[in-house]
Amino acid sequence: MNKWMKMLSPLVQPAAAVLVGLLVGAVAIVIAGGEVLETYKEMWNGAFGGFYFLTNTLSRATPIILVGLGAAFAFRAGFFNLGAPGQMIFGALAASLVGLYMPGPGWLVSIAALLAGVIAGGLWSVMAGYFDARFAVNLLISTLLLNYIADLLAGYLVAYPLKDTSGSAAMAQSAMLDKSVWLPKLFSGMPLHIGFVFAVVLAVIIYVLLKRSVIGYEVRMLGGNPLFALYGGINRGTMMLGAMFFSGGLAGLGGAVEILGSQYRYIDGALTTADYAWTGIMAALLARSHPLGTLAAALFLAALQTGGQGVERNTEVPLEVGAIIQAALILFISARFTYDFLKRRKGSKSHGTAV
Amino acid sequence: MEQLFDLALLNTALRVLTPILLAALGGALCARVGLFNVGLEGFMLLGAFSAIAGNYFFGNVLLAILFAILVVLVFSFMFAYLSINLKANVIVVGIAMNALAAGLTTFSLRALFDVKGAFYDKEMVGLPKWNIPVLEDIPVVGPILSGHTPLVYLAFLIAGVMWYYFYRTKSGFRFLASGENPLAASSLGLRVQRYQYGAVLASGVLCALAGAQLSLGQLTMFTEGMTDGRGFIALVATMLGQSGPLGVTASSLLFGFMEAISIRFQGLALPTHFTQMLPYIVTIAAMFFFKDKSFLKDAQKQGSSSR
Repeated sequence: MNKWMKMLSPLVQPAAAVLVGLLVGAVAIVIAGGEVLETYKEMWNGAFGGFYFLTNTLSRATPIILVGLGAAFAFRAGFFNLGAPGQMIFGALAASLVGLYMPGPGWLVSIAALLAGVIAGGLWSVMAGYFDARFAVNLLISTLLLNYIADLLAGYLVAYPLKDTSGSAAMAQSAMLDKSVWLPKLFSGMPLHIGFVFAVVLAVIIYVLLKRSVIGYEVRMLGGNPLFALYGGINRGTMMLGAMFFSGGLAGLGGAVEILGSQYRYIDGALTTADYAWTGIMAALLARSHPLGTLAAALFLAALQTGGQGVERNTEVPLEVGAIIQAALILFISARFTYDFLKRRKGSKSHGTAV
Repeated sequence: MEQLFDLALLNTALRVLTPILLAALGGALCARVGLFNVGLEGFMLLGAFSAIAGNYFFGNVLLAILFAILVVLVFSFMFAYLSINLKANVIVVGIAMNALAAGLTTFSLRALFDVKGAFYDKEMVGLPKWNIPVLEDIPVVGPILSGHTPLVYLAFLIAGVMWYYFYRTKSGFRFLASGENPLAASSLGLRVQRYQYGAVLASGVLCALAGAQLSLGQLTMFTEGMTDGRGFIALVATMLGQSGPLGVTASSLLFGFMEAISIRFQGLALPTHFTQMLPYIVTIAAMFFFKDKSFLKDAQKQGSSSR
């Protein structure tokens, strides 16, 4: 009995948060003049009603899961890496470049493109880590700033040197990848591609890595108590570079998979307007940086988004109802940080009341 | 080169820097009490939307601005309550606020006005443009400084007032102290939380004004996501300006000038990517030189504990 309680207790607040989110969403639906139950039914149908919609949701979740895992890993090590949008863009850009210009058989190019995505995202991320470890340039701020630089740089590249000139459209985008490079679909005619399998497998691997391996223990120790980790002989600088590379690499893989599996070309702004990266970061926050939890949270958030599209198609309620629910959820869950904080502090009153 | 630089460019710069300056001053207030406000972008967007909504429903610019201030105050109160009383992670709350603002404004655009993308109504009146009597006749200075909306002048006035408050008043000194070392300040009997609330609410008001300048200043319309990262640029201006009113004004001037050049480049069909990139690069470069300032340490405190 006690064991069950222990297993279920971490789920109580997320469940409450989901409830609050849905309540806020209900208010929004009423304001927009919709029928609450009807709208939620459409939302469910848009996300899970039928095989096509289910695979659509899973395919949307794929980059979100990968980015979320990367963010969760960095958060676990105690590094607030908010650079996922930029790292994802670099991953996507590198993957499309390799996909376009590398000679060789399709499967080889495909694998090389994925690796290039990981490396590009990882290196972009390591740069911020290096600045922090070596020059004490605050990681949180530099990763945030590097996002814009990455977006603008990639935007410039596809608007000028790499612009697709074959089509009639004047859009800023790279040329289309060759069909042989595309990631295979899991079911024919459905949007879901093999990247989803990568994401799920990686979630399990990272879970085991964090839970069972020495490196995982060191990462958790560094995140949990940096001073103790220092005392235990862990080099924070080296760990930072490693964790940032891993974290950025996952975000880069998210971008690469999205390019090779769904979009087949780098379109300026396509990754940022879909908000994959920020959703991934939110998934990690929702799940409190637990890898499997991040997987579940990413699926949930993706379902909110595809469900919102279903709502938009079939009712008068705009699709942003999903975004509102999502934000309300995060706000509610952020108060959880608190709850733990208070519990921990209760014993020692010495800290005062100010902070 | 002649196409690129003329007096109109500086006039444009003053106009476009105003939202950045207003929001950055709000960010500076928050940073000074140890709250790193990532939600400026969202506050500004909410301000821009509610200014247009107020304008449409009340038909009066002043009421529109007051309505915008009221709406943003509600959200900044939420931000303050979550991050001060419930001790939620400020960054997380900020990110969520941005997402909420983006969703809510687009949603309301559909729900209230039944349009997608942008809302525009001929009946709406924008902010008045002030031609300052004597000033406008002075050759070079006149065309630059005259003919702006009142908010442009107000922004600089607020920067001056903030400087006076910070460095010349007792209350301002206490405000700074409660951010510098909350523990020491509270041990001296200062109500640190009160200053924190004050800072967040004031930054809400400033962001509402910033949003109003954005939506009512030039074209009198609202478009989805019209802040377009300006809140983050303001955050960057706060950091580059070391959260001091004068520094923030200087860095906002720089960024406003960059944006004006970008607009000019756009007109000449030149790539704007690098001019847009410059604020971020300058700030990262600056962070190599100024680091041991209090607000950075505060941000680091946020940064080092992700959970």
